[in-house]
Amino acid sequence: MSRSLAPENPAGEEEFNRLALALFAFQCGAVPVYRALCESRKAAPDTIRHWSEIPPLPTSAFKEYEVSSIPDGERTRVFHSSGTTGQIPSRHFHSGESLSIYEASLLPWFVRHFFATQPPPMKLVFLTPETAPHSSLVHMFTTVRRHFGTPHSAFAGRAAYDGSWSLDLEQTLAAVREAVGENEPLGLLGTAFSFVGLLDYMQSVGKRFALPKGSRIMETGGYKGRTRTLPKAQLRLMLAKFLGTAPVDVVGEYGMSELSSQAYDSAAGIFHFPPWARARVISPETGAEAGEGETGLLRVFDLANIGSIMAVQTEDLAVRRGGGFELLGRAAAAEPRGCSLQART
Amino acid sequence: MNLPSYFLADLPPEAELTAGLITEACQTLKRNGQQFLEGRATEGIIRVLDRLGRDWLAADFPFRQTVLREGPAAMGFSAEVLAAGLDQFFQQWTAENFEALLRQELGHVQRLDDFLHNDHESHLARSAMALGPRLLAHIAPGNVPAPALMEMALGLLARSAQFVKCASGQSLVPRMFAHSLYEADHKLGACLEVAAWPGGAESLESALFAEADCIVATGSDETLAAIRRKLPAATRFIGHGERVSFGYVTREALEGKADAVVERAAADVTAWNQRGCLSPHVIYVEDSGGGGGEEFAKLLAEKLEALEKIHPRGTLSAGDAAAIATRRAFYEVRAAHSPETKMWASRESTAWTVILENDPRFQISCQNRFIYVKTVPDLTQALQGAELVREHTSTVGLACLPAQTSELARRLARWGAKRICPLGRMQHPPLGWRHDGRPPLGDLVTWIDWEKR
Repeated sequence: MSRSLAPENPAGEEEFNRLALALFAFQCGAVPVYRALCESRKAAPDTIRHWSEIPPLPTSAFKEYEVSSIPDGERTRVFHSSGTTGQIPSRHFHSGESLSIYEASLLPWFVRHFFATQPPPMKLVFLTPETAPHSSLVHMFTTVRRHFGTPHSAFAGRAAYDGSWSLDLEQTLAAVREAVGENEPLGLLGTAFSFVGLLDYMQSVGKRFALPKGSRIMETGGYKGRTRTLPKAQLRLMLAKFLGTAPVDVVGEYGMSELSSQAYDSAAGIFHFPPWARARVISPETGAEAGEGETGLLRVFDLANIGSIMAVQTEDLAVRRGGGFELLGRAAAAEPRGCSLQART
Repeated sequence: MNLPSYFLADLPPEAELTAGLITEACQTLKRNGQQFLEGRATEGIIRVLDRLGRDWLAADFPFRQTVLREGPAAMGFSAEVLAAGLDQFFQQWTAENFEALLRQELGHVQRLDDFLHNDHESHLARSAMALGPRLLAHIAPGNVPAPALMEMALGLLARSAQFVKCASGQSLVPRMFAHSLYEADHKLGACLEVAAWPGGAESLESALFAEADCIVATGSDETLAAIRRKLPAATRFIGHGERVSFGYVTREALEGKADAVVERAAADVTAWNQRGCLSPHVIYVEDSGGGGGEEFAKLLAEKLEALEKIHPRGTLSAGDAAAIATRRAFYEVRAAHSPETKMWASRESTAWTVILENDPRFQISCQNRFIYVKTVPDLTQALQGAELVREHTSTVGLACLPAQTSELARRLARWGAKRICPLGRMQHPPLGWRHDGRPPLGDLVTWIDWEKR
C-alpha cells in the first residue's frame, strides 16, 4: 500500500521545492541557532536553489538549544525525546497551530498504512500510558484514538512516578481474548519494547492467540537504553507465533519528537514518508547522498515542521532502498557525555 | 598465504564452535603444556621471543605481510597504521628487554626455572621459585592487537599453556602471531590456541572458564563483572577495565617549539588511530587567554591533514564513521553559535577532527583521529575537569620543560594517573610497563617458598 517517495510527477517535486525553500527562508530568519549554522555554512535563501542543499540541523541541537520560531507565550506543548536516564532530551516546542499541523500530517499517512485492509473505526489498544504530556508518541495515539478508535479503545500502559512506562499485561491480554471471543478485529499499537514485554509474558504463561482477521499491529521505535532488544524480523516472527499475525498485519512506524511527520514500512521493511516529507540517506564518510543499498545517516526534510526546523539530520543509520529506506538503528550518540565511558580499552 | 588450519580461529566462518570443542582444546593444551613447557628453560623461550621480534620487524616476513594485506579490511586500520604499530611494538621484543622484565618482576631472570635466592634470602637459608598458571585464558580486546600479543609473550615466559579468545572478527593478528610462533618452535606453538567468538557466548565461555586456572580479560566494567561472576572460586582473575588517557602541554613547552610538540601530539592521535586505552581523548593545553591553545589546535589540524596523505587512517565501518559525523554535526552547531568552540575537520571525509574548547571537562572522543584540545590555566583546572575519569585514567602524555617534569609527574601520580610519559609516546609503552599499575608478570605467577632450615 505504501508508495514511493520519489516524486510522482514533476509538478509535485516543484511544489515541494517551492515550499521547502520558502520554509527555509522563514526558519533561517526566525530561529537564531539555525541562522548561526546557515551563516557559518554560507547558506542563505538567495544562494540555495534546491531543497536537498538546505543545511540540516542535527537532532542533538534540539537538546542544547531552543529550536523554535514559536514565541515563548504561544508554546503550549513541548515534546521530549525518549532516552536513557541522565541524558538531556530533545525538546520540540508546539503551539495550538503547530499541533494542528502535526495532526493534519499524521492522520492521512497513518490511515493509509494502518487501515490498509480494514477501514476504521477499530478497537484500538495502545501499549503506552494515556497521559504523558511530553511524549509525541502518546499525543499521536490520543489523536488516532479520537479519530479512528471505537469507544472501547484503551491505553494499557502506566507511567510511574519516575516517568518510566510499564504495561498492564493482563489488561492487554483481556482485550486480545475479548477480540478473539467476539471475532472483532483489534488494533495493537506500541513501542517494539512493549511488544517484547508482552510476548515474553505470553511465552512465560504459555498463552497464544490468533487475532481475528483484519487485526493490525503497529510497532515503533527502538530500545534506547533497554536491556532486552529483539531484531525486527524476530519480533515479527514472535508476533506471528503468539498473536497469529501475518507479516502484512504488522506495520512499523518511524517517528521522532523532532519531526511532525512519520514514515511507515511495508512487509519488506522499507519505510516511506508522506509526500510532504523527503528522506535522504547520507554517507557519514563523505556527506554526499549514499548510493542504493549503501548505509548512511538518515536526513529528513519535513514540511510539517513549520515551527521548528524542516531539515533535520538524525542519528539513525539507514540503507537506501529505491524511494524508501531500511532502518538499521541508532549511531553512537552525538552529544558528548563526560562521565559515561564509551571507549573500549 | 596458505596456512594449515592449526588453530580454531583458522576454521572457516561457517564452522560452528561448540563447548565440547573448547573443552577438548583446553585439555590438549594442558597436556601439551606439561609435555613441552615444563622442562623449557627461560633462556630458550627468550631466544624464541627475540627471534620473533626481529622476524615481525622484517618487511618480507610472510606473517607480517599477511597482516598488512588483510588487516585494513578486517580491522579498519590502513596498512601504514598497522605497519607503524607493529614496528613500535616489536622493537621492544629483544632478549635484553625480556631479561630486564624478568628481573623487574621476579628479581632474577631464572626465577621460573629453579629455586633461587638473593643475598638476604641466602642468609636466612631461604629460596623461592615462581610458577605460572597451567592454563592461562585471555579474553583479548578487539580494538588494538598489541595487548593480546604482549599477554601471549608473558604467558610463554610463565610456561603457561594459553587459550586466546579474540573478539569476533578480530583474530587476524593473534592468529598470525600464533602461526609464526608455531613455525619458530612447533612445541611452543602446540601450547597455544586462538579462537574468536562474540563476547558473552555462554556455553563456550563456561567451557573455557571451567578449564583455565587464570583468566586475563580486557573489556568494559560490565563485561569484567559478568566474567568474574561465572568463574569457579579457585580460578584467578586479572581484569583490565575501561581506561582513558590524556595529554598535558605546558605553555613553556610551546614557546618557540610549538611545531615539535604538535608533531608529538599528532603521533599519539594517529598511533593505532587513537583506539587504544593509552591514546589521548583530550589534550589539555595551558593558556590563560593568550591564544596559545587555539594556535596549538590549528597546527594540530594542519599536521593531521598532512599525516593523512602519508599515513592515512584507513576505512571505517559506516557505524564508526557515523559516530564521527554525528559528533561533528553537534560541534558544528555549537561552533556556529559560540566563539568558545572551534572545529577543524578533514573535508569530504571523517579522516581527522580537532575540537577546541575552553571548558576543561574531560570528553570521551569517538576515536579514529577525533581529538579534543581544551585550554586550561593550569594543571589544577585540568585535573578538576578530568575528575570524572580519575579512577579510569591510565596514561598522561606530558609536554613540558625538563625542569617541570618531576613536579608534574608527582602531582599526576598522587591524583591517580597510572603511567606518565612524554607526549608522542603514549601508545608505545616499554615492554615492562605496568598495565593498570600492576606487575604484568608478577600478577600471573605463584611463588613457592623453600625454607631449608
